[in-house]
Amino acid sequence: MLVSFAWLEELVDLDGLGARDAADALTARGLTVDSVSGAAGSEVLDLDVPANRPDCLGHLGVARELSAAFSRPLLPRPTPPPAPGPAAAGAADIEIEAEDLCPRYTARLVRGVRVGPSPARVVARLEACGLRSVNNVVDASNLVLLETGHPIHAFDFARIEGGEIRVRRAGPGETIETLDGVLRTLGPEVLVIADRTRPVAVAGVLGGAATEIRASTRDVLVEAAVFDPGSVRSTARRLGLATDASHRFERGVDPDGVLAAQDLAVRLLEELAGGAAAPGLVDVHPRPAAPRALHLRPERVRRLLGYDPGLDATRDALARLGIRIQDAPGGALLATPPTWRVDLLREADLVEEVGRHLGYDRIPVAAASARLSPLPDRLVEAEERARTALAGLGFHEAFNYAMNAAGEDDAFVGASAPGQIVLTNPIAEPLARLRRSVLPGLLRAADRNLRHGAEDVRLFEVGRVFLRREADTFPDERPRAGIAWAGAGEPRHFSARPRPVDFFDLAGAVETVLEALQPGIAWARRRSDLSGLHPRRSAVWSSAAAGDAAWGGELHPDLAASLGLETPVLVAEIDLATLLSAEAEERAHAPLPRLPAVTRDLSFVLSAGQEYAALTAALRGVAAPAPVRFEAVDRYEGSPLAEGESSLTVRVILQPSEATLTDPEVERYRSGLIAAAEREAGARIRGGTEPPMGE
Amino acid sequence: MFRDLERIEREFEAGLASAAGDPGAIEAVRVRFLGRKGEMQALLRRFASLPPAEKPAAGKALNALKTRIETAVAEASAAAAAVRRRAEIAAGGLDVGLPARTPWRGSLHPVTRTRRELERIFRDLGYTVESGPEVEDDFHNFQALNLPPNHPARDATDTFYVEGGLLLRTHTSPVQIRTMQARRPPIRMVCPGRVYRRDLDATHLPMFHQLEALVVDEGISMADLKGTIDALWKRFFGDDVRIRFRPGYFPFVEPGCEYDVSCRVCGGRGCRACKGTGWLELGGAGMVHPAVFEAVGIDAERYTGFAFGLGIDRIAMVRHGIDDLRLLMENDIRFLARFPA
Ligand SMILES: [Zn+2]
Repeated sequence: MLVSFAWLEELVDLDGLGARDAADALTARGLTVDSVSGAAGSEVLDLDVPANRPDCLGHLGVARELSAAFSRPLLPRPTPPPAPGPAAAGAADIEIEAEDLCPRYTARLVRGVRVGPSPARVVARLEACGLRSVNNVVDASNLVLLETGHPIHAFDFARIEGGEIRVRRAGPGETIETLDGVLRTLGPEVLVIADRTRPVAVAGVLGGAATEIRASTRDVLVEAAVFDPGSVRSTARRLGLATDASHRFERGVDPDGVLAAQDLAVRLLEELAGGAAAPGLVDVHPRPAAPRALHLRPERVRRLLGYDPGLDATRDALARLGIRIQDAPGGALLATPPTWRVDLLREADLVEEVGRHLGYDRIPVAAASARLSPLPDRLVEAEERARTALAGLGFHEAFNYAMNAAGEDDAFVGASAPGQIVLTNPIAEPLARLRRSVLPGLLRAADRNLRHGAEDVRLFEVGRVFLRREADTFPDERPRAGIAWAGAGEPRHFSARPRPVDFFDLAGAVETVLEALQPGIAWARRRSDLSGLHPRRSAVWSSAAAGDAAWGGELHPDLAASLGLETPVLVAEIDLATLLSAEAEERAHAPLPRLPAVTRDLSFVLSAGQEYAALTAALRGVAAPAPVRFEAVDRYEGSPLAEGESSLTVRVILQPSEATLTDPEVERYRSGLIAAAEREAGARIRGGTEPPMGE
Repeated sequence: MFRDLERIEREFEAGLASAAGDPGAIEAVRVRFLGRKGEMQALLRRFASLPPAEKPAAGKALNALKTRIETAVAEASAAAAAVRRRAEIAAGGLDVGLPARTPWRGSLHPVTRTRRELERIFRDLGYTVESGPEVEDDFHNFQALNLPPNHPARDATDTFYVEGGLLLRTHTSPVQIRTMQARRPPIRMVCPGRVYRRDLDATHLPMFHQLEALVVDEGISMADLKGTIDALWKRFFGDDVRIRFRPGYFPFVEPGCEYDVSCRVCGGRGCRACKGTGWLELGGAGMVHPAVFEAVGIDAERYTGFAFGLGIDRIAMVRHGIDDLRLLMENDIRFLARFPA
């Protein structure tokens, strides 16, 4: 809110104080002044009024704060003398039908105004506060709003049919043309000010065009009322109207502020528009609320603030803020806030007033104490370890929005996956759905980097995806780690030509993360059927206990083409929750072997369609004379092998722990392996050779 | 016999000298004199046929010569090998100024680094690190935080809604509610996480990162709040940081405040980062509102508590001198690689 310093000076004695002093004091009291602008004598303070302080949405409220801050008296406004002539009550017939939404309605009648331009000083004052001058009558009501914070409304009295004001809910389908020229359809949720036949204003929001002040207006009915904050707010939202009036009514106005507002309105209309007020105020106030008294225990002040300001300082602070103090039994205080402080509802609110008035600098600084910290959440820890592992492998951490475009992640969720969760008020179409995969965002980031000329792109993201659940309205939020990889498969160096990244590089990264987070689990790979992945160059990692924990590979060429990706990009996604659900076996320390290992290399010829996994499964099925492991050491395609055939050399490593193996034992095992490979995997032996080092 | 020994010695010396340090020639000399069909072996065979009386003297001389030859050959071989190594050293020089073969080094996002740094400080102070759902309901995100429907402070947060009446959390405060629902005091927790607001311009992104701290126990006051905020930022920014508290309004705390730290960019003289004020507004804080305790069933008479929040992105920008918020979400590797893990 823009506040004129000169205006404040009319309301509170600020003799010897400047705009800067006022700004500093207000900021220190929680009414942050964002800037002070304007030349000396016409400074304007840009005040950030928090939502709980509607009393400071007018100069008077700000003046009250300054009065408390500097112990300076408020300067009273002159009250206009009662005017002669017929009383307003005789002319206007006012009734509140919806008391729940309008606890108080006051009206005054000012006769014989001349509508015309305002004097230059009024125009300047309005402009300083960010408002445009309209005419002297409208300007008068805006001056009242800016000074008292209480919105008032001026009706052309001649156009109010029957001189009747009814405060009631709108009928179904009832309409009003508002001051902005829009014809609006109302309903029973909307509170209106109506005359005998029709609504003439949307209560607390905007007036109607029919009773608008115009050049011919002579008699003005001034409304100052109190409306229910929730009702004004929902009406303003419903009609898409946010006005200076609705802003204040939504936050709550001073129920007694109507009186000061009427006095000022009358004085300004007489002064600016030459009107004469009819005697008397019509004040419909069926159930005046009893003053709200709150208990305040000095002990509570100490417990919340962390120091004891003392009873005298507490009383003084509250009194300066207009809070009436009485003694209550048990050493407590009974505090009655002024009617304008609609925010003071609880004991803690009063404690804040004491702390605020005495200054937060007075609160001592207690040493922060440490205690033993409990163990961190497993999933959160897994996210952190995934980040560390991937950064250690050379990936850069990316951040993407949790939202993506409709259908953007279809290629990376199974065909039977539930649909995306829809945002009802997205900010833009590309951010209209919650993501089910982290890969689309990573692909976009990879693409952007490649377009910037990056040769190597290695990105990862650890973040949540959101999967619709049948039994629960809350989605299943699953932490995922995703990677996108383009360019070289190993660090570049002048000594060798860079090798482009391939599936095996990607699988190594995936398995390093799997192993880092859950060591010792046997992961099986099978081909992935996700439509976004190359059907022959992608895999799913799964274990018996966890199910599918990761998937990835080369992008499907069709998807790469539709995304316009010219550089091959490999992607993988790991579901960290699934990964953690696989319980790994504790690895006990085994003594280091003392006996030499025995190794044999076996070269098999695999025909088209036969795979390593089937071959090793066959080999593993053969009873071994000692603990054994298999390593693929060489693979070859081409002449003299037939088309589609490949030669695969498997190194068999036997590690005896108790007794040295004999040659016949080893030979018998070797023959068993060859037979099993042929029988179960259709692989024929190409010739067994001893490794160069022998035993 | 003795004449032969003298001859062999003479010929060996000549042979070794003519080998001139050549390893092949030295080996040939060794084979000629020490090999199985060599001179010494032949002499040994003749030794067997000597009369017994001559054997002791001849044997001694024979052994002495053999040892001498062996030693000389070994020395010559070693010298030759050393010469060869010198030559290899001279020939095999590298340009050691050429680039190293460096393993890849990935990076952690500056927001992750800042979050971890903050979490570590809180862990050292004995806080748990909690998390909660990003898709929340109105109760946890608003109502339990003393923000009933139609509360004007809801205006401050433009909320994304999803189908089914749920919303994307607008702050991490719902994690406070969930923690207080699940556990009884004493509670000391922080909840970092992603939050969402329907806002997109040069200084706002629709998704950003917050961290909130909550302490609930008997006897917690604003002095503890100030002490904790003081300890946090002194650890994070250094002991010379100054901290300022101003009254501020947040519906879920009472009394409430905002806190500023002296600008780390200009040291408090005023600059662009602090809009010329010398202070960086870092967040809001206050004593947990009694209505919040009521919503989660904690006895507000027995327990008091404080809560405060901060924006991790903003702090990461100050920490690393990042002047454009958008860089945080552009995933440009040239930017990310400046924060090596
Ligand atoms: Zn600065």
